[in-house]
Amino acid sequence: MNRPPLLMRLRIHNEGHNFGLWLPLFLLIPVALVVFIILSPLILLAVIILWPTGWGRVALLAPWYAWNCICATRGLSVDVQGPREYVKIAFI
Amino acid sequence: MTDNQKKILEMLAEKKISTDEAYRLLNALGSEEGGQKEAPRVQTGTVLKPKYLRVTVTPREGADPQHADRVNVRVPMSLVRAGIKLTSLIPHDATDKINDALREKGINFDVRNIKAEDIEELINALGELEVDVETGHGEKVKVFVEY
Repeated sequence: MNRPPLLMRLRIHNEGHNFGLWLPLFLLIPVALVVFIILSPLILLAVIILWPTGWGRVALLAPWYAWNCICATRGLSVDVQGPREYVKIAFI
Repeated sequence: MTDNQKKILEMLAEKKISTDEAYRLLNALGSEEGGQKEAPRVQTGTVLKPKYLRVTVTPREGADPQHADRVNVRVPMSLVRAGIKLTSLIPHDATDKINDALREKGINFDVRNIKAEDIEELINALGELEVDVETGHGEKVKVFVEY
Protein backbone atom coordinates (compact mmCIF):
# COMPACT_ATOMS: atom_id res chain seq x y z
CA MET A 1 0.00 0.00 0.00
CA ASN A 2 1.14 3.55 -0.73
CA ARG A 3 2.17 5.93 2.00
CA PRO A 4 -0.20 8.88 2.48
CA PRO A 5 0.88 12.29 1.18
CA LEU A 6 2.73 14.42 3.70
CA LEU A 7 1.87 17.86 2.38
CA MET A 8 -0.74 19.50 0.23
CA ARG A 9 0.23 22.58 -1.66
CA LEU A 10 -2.48 24.94 -2.82
CA ARG A 11 -1.88 28.14 -4.71
CA ILE A 12 -4.53 30.39 -6.21
CA HIS A 13 -3.55 33.57 -7.92
CA ASN A 14 -5.86 35.93 -9.77
CA GLU A 15 -6.30 39.66 -10.21
CA GLY A 16 -7.62 40.34 -6.73
CA HIS A 17 -6.22 37.47 -4.70
CA ASN A 18 -2.97 35.75 -4.11
CA PHE A 19 -3.48 32.76 -1.85
CA GLY A 20 -0.93 30.11 -1.04
CA LEU A 21 -1.12 27.27 1.46
CA TRP A 22 1.12 24.43 2.53
CA LEU A 23 -1.14 22.03 4.41
CA PRO A 24 0.78 19.62 6.67
CA LEU A 25 -1.25 16.46 6.12
CA PHE A 26 1.13 14.46 8.28
CA LEU A 27 -0.17 16.48 11.25
CA LEU A 28 -3.83 16.21 10.23
CA ILE A 29 -3.83 12.42 9.72
CA PRO A 30 -3.31 11.59 13.46
CA VAL A 31 -6.12 14.03 14.31
CA ALA A 32 -8.41 12.34 11.75
CA LEU A 33 -7.47 8.95 13.23
CA VAL A 34 -8.48 10.10 16.73
CA VAL A 35 -11.80 11.46 15.36
CA PHE A 36 -12.37 8.13 13.58
CA ILE A 37 -11.75 6.16 16.80
CA ILE A 38 -14.16 8.41 18.72
CA LEU A 39 -16.83 8.05 16.02
CA SER A 40 -16.32 4.30 15.48
CA PRO A 41 -19.19 3.23 17.81
CA LEU A 42 -21.55 5.43 15.76
CA ILE A 43 -20.20 3.97 12.53
CA LEU A 44 -20.73 0.46 13.90
CA LEU A 45 -24.30 1.37 14.85
CA ALA A 46 -24.92 2.76 11.36
CA VAL A 47 -23.51 -0.46 9.85
CA ILE A 48 -25.89 -2.61 11.94
CA ILE A 49 -28.92 -0.44 11.11
CA LEU A 50 -28.13 -0.19 7.40
CA TRP A 51 -27.04 -3.82 6.89
CA PRO A 52 -30.47 -5.09 5.66
CA THR A 53 -30.65 -2.30 3.05
CA GLY A 54 -27.27 -3.20 1.54
CA TRP A 55 -25.67 0.12 2.48
CA GLY A 56 -24.25 -1.36 5.72
CA ARG A 57 -21.41 -2.97 3.79
CA VAL A 58 -20.68 0.41 2.22
CA ALA A 59 -20.58 2.09 5.65
CA LEU A 60 -18.28 -0.66 6.95
CA LEU A 61 -15.79 -0.55 4.10
CA ALA A 62 -15.97 3.16 3.26
CA PRO A 63 -13.31 4.27 5.81
CA TRP A 64 -10.83 1.72 4.44
CA TYR A 65 -11.51 2.73 0.82
CA ALA A 66 -11.33 6.42 1.79
CA TRP A 67 -7.92 5.80 3.38
CA ASN A 68 -6.76 4.02 0.20
CA CYS A 69 -7.92 6.99 -1.89
CA ILE A 70 -6.09 9.45 0.39
CA CYS A 71 -2.91 7.39 0.08
CA ALA A 72 -3.32 7.24 -3.70
CA THR A 73 -3.38 11.03 -4.02
CA ARG A 74 0.36 11.17 -3.35
CA GLY A 75 1.87 12.60 -6.54
CA LEU A 76 -1.35 14.16 -7.80
CA SER A 77 -0.69 17.52 -9.36
CA VAL A 78 -3.05 19.94 -11.06
CA ASP A 79 -1.60 23.03 -12.60
CA VAL A 80 -3.89 25.38 -14.52
CA GLN A 81 -2.67 28.69 -15.81
CA GLY A 82 -5.02 31.11 -17.53
CA PRO A 83 -4.37 34.59 -18.89
CA ARG A 84 -5.01 36.22 -15.52
CA GLU A 85 -5.29 33.37 -13.05
CA TYR A 86 -3.21 30.51 -11.82
CA VAL A 87 -4.28 27.48 -9.76
CA LYS A 88 -1.95 24.81 -8.47
CA ILE A 89 -2.83 21.85 -6.30
CA ALA A 90 -0.21 19.28 -5.45
CA PHE A 91 -0.06 16.38 -3.03
CA ILE A 92 3.51 15.71 -2.00
CA MET B 1 22.20 -6.34 -36.69
CA THR B 2 19.20 -4.50 -38.11
CA ASP B 3 18.01 -4.57 -41.75
CA ASN B 4 19.16 -0.98 -42.27
CA GLN B 5 22.68 -1.78 -41.06
CA LYS B 6 22.77 -4.82 -43.38
CA LYS B 7 21.69 -2.67 -46.32
CA ILE B 8 24.46 -0.15 -45.63
CA LEU B 9 27.07 -2.93 -45.47
CA GLU B 10 25.73 -4.46 -48.70
CA MET B 11 25.95 -1.06 -50.43
CA LEU B 12 29.54 -0.78 -49.16
CA ALA B 13 30.36 -4.29 -50.44
CA GLU B 14 28.88 -3.42 -53.83
CA LYS B 15 30.99 -0.20 -53.75
CA LYS B 16 27.87 1.94 -54.15
CA ILE B 17 29.06 4.04 -51.18
CA SER B 18 32.49 4.81 -49.73
CA THR B 19 33.71 3.64 -46.32
CA ASP B 20 33.35 7.20 -44.99
CA GLU B 21 29.73 7.39 -46.14
CA ALA B 22 28.99 3.95 -44.67
CA TYR B 23 30.57 5.05 -41.37
CA ARG B 24 28.47 8.22 -41.29
CA LEU B 25 25.27 6.34 -42.18
CA LEU B 26 25.89 3.70 -39.52
CA ASN B 27 26.55 6.40 -36.91
CA ALA B 28 23.37 8.26 -37.88
CA LEU B 29 21.40 5.03 -37.74
CA GLY B 30 22.90 4.15 -34.36
CA SER B 31 21.94 7.49 -32.79
CA GLU B 32 18.44 7.27 -34.30
CA GLU B 33 17.89 3.77 -32.95
CA GLY B 34 19.51 4.71 -29.65
CA GLY B 35 16.93 7.51 -29.32
CA GLN B 36 14.14 5.05 -29.94
CA LYS B 37 15.46 2.85 -27.17
CA GLU B 38 14.91 5.54 -24.53
CA ALA B 39 11.16 5.14 -24.63
CA PRO B 40 10.54 1.43 -24.26
CA ARG B 41 8.59 0.08 -21.37
CA VAL B 42 10.87 -2.90 -20.92
CA GLN B 43 14.22 -2.35 -19.21
CA THR B 44 16.58 -5.19 -18.37
CA GLY B 45 13.82 -7.78 -18.56
CA THR B 46 11.39 -6.08 -16.14
CA VAL B 47 8.18 -4.59 -17.49
CA LEU B 48 7.67 -1.02 -16.27
CA LYS B 49 4.22 -0.23 -14.96
CA PRO B 50 2.49 3.04 -15.79
CA LYS B 51 2.93 5.47 -12.89
CA TYR B 52 1.10 8.63 -13.89
CA LEU B 53 -1.55 9.70 -16.35
CA ARG B 54 -0.60 13.09 -17.74
CA VAL B 55 -2.79 15.65 -19.46
CA THR B 56 -1.15 18.75 -20.85
CA VAL B 57 -2.50 21.68 -22.80
CA THR B 58 0.08 24.07 -24.21
CA PRO B 59 -0.59 27.19 -26.27
CA ARG B 60 0.92 27.59 -29.72
CA GLU B 61 4.43 28.94 -29.89
CA GLY B 62 4.52 32.73 -29.85
CA ALA B 63 0.94 32.95 -28.57
CA ASP B 64 -0.06 36.09 -26.71
CA PRO B 65 0.40 35.27 -22.98
CA GLN B 66 -2.74 37.35 -22.27
CA HIS B 67 -4.82 34.78 -24.14
CA ALA B 68 -2.86 31.62 -23.51
CA ASP B 69 -4.04 28.81 -21.25
CA ARG B 70 -1.75 26.14 -19.88
CA VAL B 71 -2.87 22.96 -18.17
CA ASN B 72 -0.65 20.36 -16.64
CA VAL B 73 -2.35 17.54 -14.76
CA ARG B 74 -0.60 14.50 -13.33
CA VAL B 75 -2.83 11.77 -11.92
CA PRO B 76 -1.17 8.84 -10.15
CA MET B 77 -2.29 5.48 -11.53
CA SER B 78 -2.84 4.34 -7.94
CA LEU B 79 -5.61 6.95 -7.72
CA VAL B 80 -7.21 5.62 -10.90
CA ARG B 81 -6.94 2.11 -9.43
CA ALA B 82 -8.46 3.20 -6.08
CA GLY B 83 -11.25 5.03 -7.91
CA ILE B 84 -12.19 2.00 -9.99
CA LYS B 85 -12.06 -0.25 -6.91
CA LEU B 86 -14.68 1.99 -5.30
CA THR B 87 -17.20 0.46 -7.68
CA SER B 88 -17.10 -2.73 -5.57
CA LEU B 89 -18.71 -0.71 -2.75
CA ILE B 90 -21.79 0.15 -4.74
CA PRO B 91 -24.83 -1.82 -3.52
CA HIS B 92 -26.75 -4.00 -6.00
CA ASP B 93 -29.75 -1.63 -6.19
CA ALA B 94 -27.48 1.22 -7.16
CA THR B 95 -25.54 -0.84 -9.74
CA ASP B 96 -28.82 -1.72 -11.43
CA LYS B 97 -29.64 1.99 -11.69
CA ILE B 98 -26.15 2.73 -13.06
CA ASN B 99 -26.47 -0.07 -15.63
CA ASP B 100 -29.89 1.25 -16.70
CA ALA B 101 -28.51 4.78 -17.05
CA LEU B 102 -25.57 3.47 -19.11
CA ARG B 103 -27.95 1.46 -21.31
CA GLU B 104 -30.03 4.60 -21.93
CA LYS B 105 -26.85 6.29 -23.20
CA GLY B 106 -26.21 3.35 -25.51
CA ILE B 107 -23.47 1.75 -23.39
CA ASN B 108 -24.21 -1.90 -22.78
CA PHE B 109 -21.94 -2.52 -19.80
CA ASP B 110 -22.46 -4.20 -16.44
CA VAL B 111 -20.60 -2.37 -13.66
CA ARG B 112 -20.68 -5.57 -11.53
CA ASN B 113 -18.34 -7.23 -14.03
CA ILE B 114 -15.41 -4.99 -13.07
CA LYS B 115 -12.86 -7.16 -11.28
CA ALA B 116 -9.49 -6.34 -9.68
CA GLU B 117 -7.51 -8.31 -12.30
CA ASP B 118 -9.38 -6.51 -15.10
CA ILE B 119 -8.41 -3.17 -13.55
CA GLU B 120 -4.73 -4.15 -13.58
CA GLU B 121 -5.01 -5.24 -17.21
CA LEU B 122 -6.80 -2.02 -18.11
CA ILE B 123 -4.18 0.15 -16.40
CA ASN B 124 -1.33 -1.72 -18.04
CA ALA B 125 -3.07 -1.30 -21.40
CA LEU B 126 -3.26 2.44 -20.73
CA GLY B 127 0.53 2.43 -21.08
CA GLU B 128 0.04 2.35 -24.84
CA LEU B 129 -2.28 5.36 -24.71
CA GLU B 130 -1.10 8.52 -26.38
CA VAL B 131 -3.47 11.23 -27.53
CA ASP B 132 -2.03 14.18 -29.36
CA VAL B 133 -4.47 16.82 -30.59
CA GLU B 134 -3.69 20.19 -32.12
CA THR B 135 -6.59 22.63 -32.21
CA GLY B 136 -7.27 25.16 -34.93
CA HIS B 137 -5.74 27.88 -32.73
CA GLY B 138 -2.48 25.94 -32.46
CA GLU B 139 -3.09 24.72 -28.92
CA LYS B 140 -1.66 21.28 -28.26
CA VAL B 141 -3.50 18.78 -26.07
CA LYS B 142 -1.61 15.70 -25.01
CA VAL B 143 -2.77 12.74 -22.95
CA PHE B 144 -0.11 10.19 -22.19
CA VAL B 145 1.26 7.86 -19.56
CA GLU B 146 4.45 8.39 -17.60
CA TYR B 147 6.61 5.56 -16.28
